[in-house]
This record gives sequence, C-alpha cells and structure tokens, in this order.
Amino acid sequence: MAPAKPKDLHQTLPDSGGMDELLEVLGYKVKSTDMADVAHKLEQLEMVLDEDGILQLSDTVHYNPSDLSGWVQSMLSELNTTGSDLSSSTNFDIRESSTTTMIDFSNNTEVDDRYDLRAIAGGAIFGSNSDACSNGIKRMKSATAESEVVDVPPGPVVLVDSQEAGVRLVHTLIACAEAVQRDDMKLADALVKHVGLLVASQVGAMAKVATYFTGALAQRIYKIYPKDGLESSCLEILQMHFYESCPYLKFAHFTANQAILEAFAGATRVHVIDFSLNQGTQWPALMQALALRNGGPPAFRLTGIGPPQPNNTDALQQAGYKLAQLAGTIGVKFEFNGFVAKSLADIDANILDIRPSEVEVVAVNSVFELHRLLARPGAIEKVLTSIKAMKPKIVTLVEQESNHNGAVFLDRFNEALHYYSTMFDSLESSGLTQPNSQDLVMSEVYLGRQICNVVACEGTDRVERHETLSQWRTRMNSAGFDPVHMGSNAFKQASMLLALFSGGVGYRVEENDGCLMLGWHTRPLIATSAWQPGVIES
Amino acid sequence: MVHIHLQSHAFCINDHLDLLIEVLKRLDGRSLGIAACVCRQWCAIARNDSLWEHLCFRHVSPAPVGVRPVVAALGGYRRLYMVCVRPVVSRLKRRRIGGESEVVRRVWNQHEVELSLSLFCVEYYERLLVGGGRVAGDSPASSLKFLCMPVNV
Repeated sequence: MAPAKPKDLHQTLPDSGGMDELLEVLGYKVKSTDMADVAHKLEQLEMVLDEDGILQLSDTVHYNPSDLSGWVQSMLSELNTTGSDLSSSTNFDIRESSTTTMIDFSNNTEVDDRYDLRAIAGGAIFGSNSDACSNGIKRMKSATAESEVVDVPPGPVVLVDSQEAGVRLVHTLIACAEAVQRDDMKLADALVKHVGLLVASQVGAMAKVATYFTGALAQRIYKIYPKDGLESSCLEILQMHFYESCPYLKFAHFTANQAILEAFAGATRVHVIDFSLNQGTQWPALMQALALRNGGPPAFRLTGIGPPQPNNTDALQQAGYKLAQLAGTIGVKFEFNGFVAKSLADIDANILDIRPSEVEVVAVNSVFELHRLLARPGAIEKVLTSIKAMKPKIVTLVEQESNHNGAVFLDRFNEALHYYSTMFDSLESSGLTQPNSQDLVMSEVYLGRQICNVVACEGTDRVERHETLSQWRTRMNSAGFDPVHMGSNAFKQASMLLALFSGGVGYRVEENDGCLMLGWHTRPLIATSAWQPGVIES
Repeated sequence: MVHIHLQSHAFCINDHLDLLIEVLKRLDGRSLGIAACVCRQWCAIARNDSLWEHLCFRHVSPAPVGVRPVVAALGGYRRLYMVCVRPVVSRLKRRRIGGESEVVRRVWNQHEVELSLSLFCVEYYERLLVGGGRVAGDSPASSLKFLCMPVNV
C-alpha cells in the first residue's frame, strides 16, 4: 500500500532543461544549479522585510515572477536605494555575527538613509523599531538551521500560496478519479504521478489524506489489488490506537451502552451479542453501570463474535477471560461465549443458545460491522432475519455516516475524499495527540486501510461499504425493525464525553430524529441508532 | 466547668486525630494532597480512602448506594478522584465558565460522577489488558491519556 514516491516519479518526467522539477510543478522556473543562490537571496529578502512589508513594496512592476532567481534579485536591488550591492554575498554573510549592527534599528538614533526602508514603504513596515529588531535577529538565528527545501515565507502576494497548491492537488486527484471512471488509464497514469509530486509540496492532514488516496488510485490503475493480508490481531491493535486518539469509538460505545442499559431496566438476566468483540472495551462501562444500578446487577451473559485468528490464538477467549476477571472484581455474575466466523452471515440464531425472552433479555450490538455484509448479495437480509430470530429487546447500530457504496466509482471516490479529509483533519486538529505520536500514526494507518479498500477494491473484496443513516433507516424499516429513540441521558453523556476532549472544540453531537451523530464541525461522521423488532400483526 | 489552661506547650492537632479528620474532610482535593505531604502521620491519615470517598460524593445527593465495593475493587476513591473525577470536573467546569478558574469547592452532579465511574472502570480494564491478568502500574491506562494531557482551551 505504499503511496507513489515523488523521488521515483522524478526520473520519469521529461527533461525540463535543467529546471528544478518540484518548483516547476508549482509554476516557478529555477535552475537546479541556482537553487542555493536563490535560497540565499530569499533569506536576505526575508531579513530586510517584515511580514506585511512585501505587500507594501513600491509600485515598481516586477516582470516574469516565475523566474524566481531574477525576480528576487530585482527586489533586493530595489530595496537598496543608493545602489550598494546588498545582494552580493560577500557583504551580507548572515552567518557572521558582525552583521547584527546592520539591522539594529532600535539603537540607531540617526537612521542611515541606505537602510531606511521607511522611504519605500512608510512607517507601516516597522510598527515599532524594537519589534523589527528582535524579529530580524530571531530570523537570523533560525536562518542557520535551514532545511533543504526552499522555505518560502507565508502570506506574500507573489510567492506561492500553499492553499492554492492544495486546491490544485484536490482537483488533480479528482481528475485522476474521473479518468479511472472513464477507463482512460493512460491519462490516469500520468495524473497519478503528477499528484505524487503535488503531494510533496503539502504538509499536515491534507498531505496524509492525499497520500493514501494517491496510493489507492495507483493500486486501482495498476491493478495491484491488496489482499486482506493484515492479520486480525494487527487490526485490533490499530483499532486500539484509534480508540485512544479520538472520541469516535468511545462515543459509539457510550451511546450504545446507554441505549442497552435503558432496555435492560428491570431485567434479572441479560444477554448481549456483540458482532465484533475485538478486545471487549465496550463492555466494562456497561457492566459497571449494571453493577451500580438500583436493585443490583443482573446476571450478565456476553456472546462475542470475531474473525478467524492466525496461529490458533484465541483472542476471543482471552478477551472473555479478562472481562470475567473484571466482572468478578465488581461483583457481576458473568458468562461468556465466543464464536469465530468469517462472516456474520455464517452465524445462526440457533448456535447462539438464545434463552426464552421471559428468562433473559437480549441485546444485539454492531459497531462498524454490518456494512461489510453489503459486499455479498443476500448477506444483509440473512443477518437481519437472524437478528429477528434472536428476539432482541434492542439492536444498537453504529456506522460511518457517509455513502461509500454508490454504484458509480467517481461518486464513491468524491464522498470518501470528503469524509476522510474531515476525519484526518479532526485527528490532527483536535489537539489530543502529539503530532506524529504513535497513536496518531496508527490511527491514520487504520483509516488508510479503509481508504484503500473503498478506492482500490471491488466485488467481495470491497468490504468498507459504508452507508448513511437514512440508508440504514430504510433498510432496517423494510426488514421489519422499528426505531427506538435514544434518550436524553445518552445525549447528555455523549456531550459530556466530548467536552472532555479538548474542551469540546470542533466535535459536535447532534440528535437526528432519535439517533445520535458525532461530527467534526459541521460534518457528521458517525451515527448511533437503536432498533427493536417490529410488532408482527397476525 | 471547663478550665482553659494556658500552658507552656501549645495545642497540637496530632493529639486530636478526630479533629484532624474533621478538618481534612472539608478540604478540596488539592489541599488534601498537600496535607499528605506534611508528615508521615498526616500522610497515613490523608491516604485513608474514606476521606476521598467523602470528597467525591459530598455534594452529590442522594449519595449513590452500593458504589463503595465497586470503587474499592477498581482501585479506591483516591485513585478515582485523581484519575477521573478531578480531570473530568475541571474540564467541564472550565468549559462552562470559560477561561482560567480553579476547582475550589464545586458541586458536581450525578451525571459527572457516573461518567467518571464509567471511565474509571474502562481504565481498570485496560490495565488488565496490558498487565496480562494483573492490574499493573499506578499511572492511568492509555485511553484516559486525554484526561491527563494539558488542554489547550
């Protein structure tokens, strides 16, 4: 799943006459041999100008800004009103400390005309002399620790705007997807390589999302379909990191638990069927709430379903054992059964040992699991029928809020691009994880696998067939389920939980006709809903 | 008749531990922690879990029944306060009022306590998962890291 590496693509582009290719992509012609010199000039320029200074430069017309070297040179000479050569490297070696006196305006009582930039741009450039002085000296200190890439100052009018490059990146990605949709593989091939270059100019969430999408597109174009080779234990680890770094899974668990808790009111024996147990992190909170409820805890039975494990490691039993330990600690009578199944459609209500509903109240819980069944025709209908046969009091369903299952590839691509951009943005901006911490990186890998599946796979391999809440509502209604409204307690708990995450800035809980949605800013990302089998009229 | 003796040695609270406990009962969490640093005797007393139970629930009415054995089993009230209640409450209070404010003698409600208890239980379970069967370590488990990290409000 390696994304297209810019370095490799570098060689395949036609020779651009000695110009640096990365800058060329952004619209600037700089000879590769001149790079160091241009960088040097830019440093000098940055030093003599304040951040707004460049906007207030004189009315001189600058020709041909794409010739970066010449343009910067002309700016530097313009700033030099008496003609002494500021740009010559011998006079202005920034690495020598003796040059501090040249920009030390605050100590000069009489301002030297040669360096009085106010003649050009008025007093606005330097608000207060001391600020400019400390700014300049700061910049000098940082100038010695230079990265290899030309570091262009932000905000100036003529230099490259990284936002514009970002927009160009998105457009190129979509253009590539369009080419794939039209089956124009030659164009798609060229575009995907171009995107690879553009990605190199971006940083942050945008770059990461683009990298995953580029990689996925490349796999689709070159027909390298990834087999689901990642072991389930690795998947569990990835999901654990995702659990820790952002509130989505916690929200899912807490809201589903609240609905189940309310459905279990008054019952003395309860049975929860979890369609994807993983490490069972959803259940401690429910067991604790049951332990503390009025009248004491019911007898709690948990059936966990999970995928086949390699090496015969029994992850289900291990989770069950740990949960049993917890149950013993808090005084809840506990029973566990684990079932290994490649697909939920293989599970029958009969296997699960469902006891009569007068004796035991049943809850079915599915977190990010049902959408996988949409890959095989007939599977979802079979499972929904099985669920009804289990006679649950409540069915809790948590799914991604986006349609990644459209018939047209391009539509899926666009939806996924928006969805995962928002997701990655929330991971990056919520301030919960340190940048590039292991949690963050693992969460991104976790989401990246989903992206790859949505974009590169087809048929039964494409399991990440997310659908929106309205689509699930239609499906559940036609399968004979009635909605159960999530109460205000669930909403309150969810809001409080989110308030704990960086003051709740950015994340939003919404109530949507009895269902709860968690989103980032205005975009809902996951939805929790609750259902019960409809009353059958005889 | 009560005689007030003016004696050469002053009144020492350490001779009247019941008084000391009464005073400690009225402190907030931070002061209680500081009190534990005064001397070994105060440390032993301040670590008494019933003091922390009182701190956790003194403003919650009605006091929840049956919580004590559960909390004790999951690690005790002092741990509950340090790991969950204090960060939960200070985050939520800051959000309500906005800006810097100290958590001094505030009332927290049933919902906040319930949420703290749930998070406390999740934290215990995670330490189980990590510790391979034993509850290991004193620092909070990973999913509650978000509570420990400084919040840029």
